[in-house]
Amino acid sequence: MAKDLMYQNEIRDAVRDAYGSIASGAGEVVASMLYSEEELAELPAGARDWALGVGNPVRYAFLQPGEVVLDVGSGGGIDTILAARRVGSTGRAIGLDIVEAMIDRARANASDAGVEGWTEFLLGEMERVPLPDASVDVVVSNGVLNLTARKSRALAEIFRVLKPGGRIALADLTVEGELPPEIANDQSAWAG
Amino acid sequence: MAGALAERVFAEKLGRAGFADAWVGGHRPTSIDEASQYPLFTDEVIEQMRRALPSEQHDHIATSVIVKARKPETP
Repeated sequence: MAKDLMYQNEIRDAVRDAYGSIASGAGEVVASMLYSEEELAELPAGARDWALGVGNPVRYAFLQPGEVVLDVGSGGGIDTILAARRVGSTGRAIGLDIVEAMIDRARANASDAGVEGWTEFLLGEMERVPLPDASVDVVVSNGVLNLTARKSRALAEIFRVLKPGGRIALADLTVEGELPPEIANDQSAWAG
Repeated sequence: MAGALAERVFAEKLGRAGFADAWVGGHRPTSIDEASQYPLFTDEVIEQMRRALPSEQHDHIATSVIVKARKPETP
């Protein structure tokens, strides 16, 4: 058990270090693949540049004005900002990330987008969400659940913070079969 | 990507966490070329993927999906 926990912490630290050390996101090429022209027009350049997701969960979340939405692993804020646009100033958009530099970047991007009044970014882990029970209407996430070795714990936390009747829209990667061990054991392959 | 689950396992974990009405859709294949756009992958691991995976898998090394579910109104 102790060895497993160490492995989980090593993966968490490797992922945090990897995301904390990159100098840019995947940029406009990936952003234009995942988001429509209309959605991209709603985002400041800084948020588009820091796109690092694998899908478009906000499109599938059908957010309503006034709702409280949590974006787990908010990165540069691209999905949090889109969510903030959908819930409007009567709602609340919360981004959560373990990388302090990403939190700073997301706050700046939310300010550039003009949604900072009802948007906040929290430093923390998806396995220990710093929010009360039953406080969120919707949870979105984009390419993040695959980054944790404690997926059941992360899902339990998402479940805990959701209000009864609350919903999730998560974009993530799935893999059928096993990756070759030289890839599966590479820390870069865990972060990417 | 190394921590990605199989789709069936993902759905099972959602159920065990208490979620209902799980839905998985929006399937989109992810290629090695697409992965190389992300700065999180080192050049070394991208090259390792090209060497270690059969060439017929290079255009589909993982699948991007959307997973939806809801928390029941009553426990």
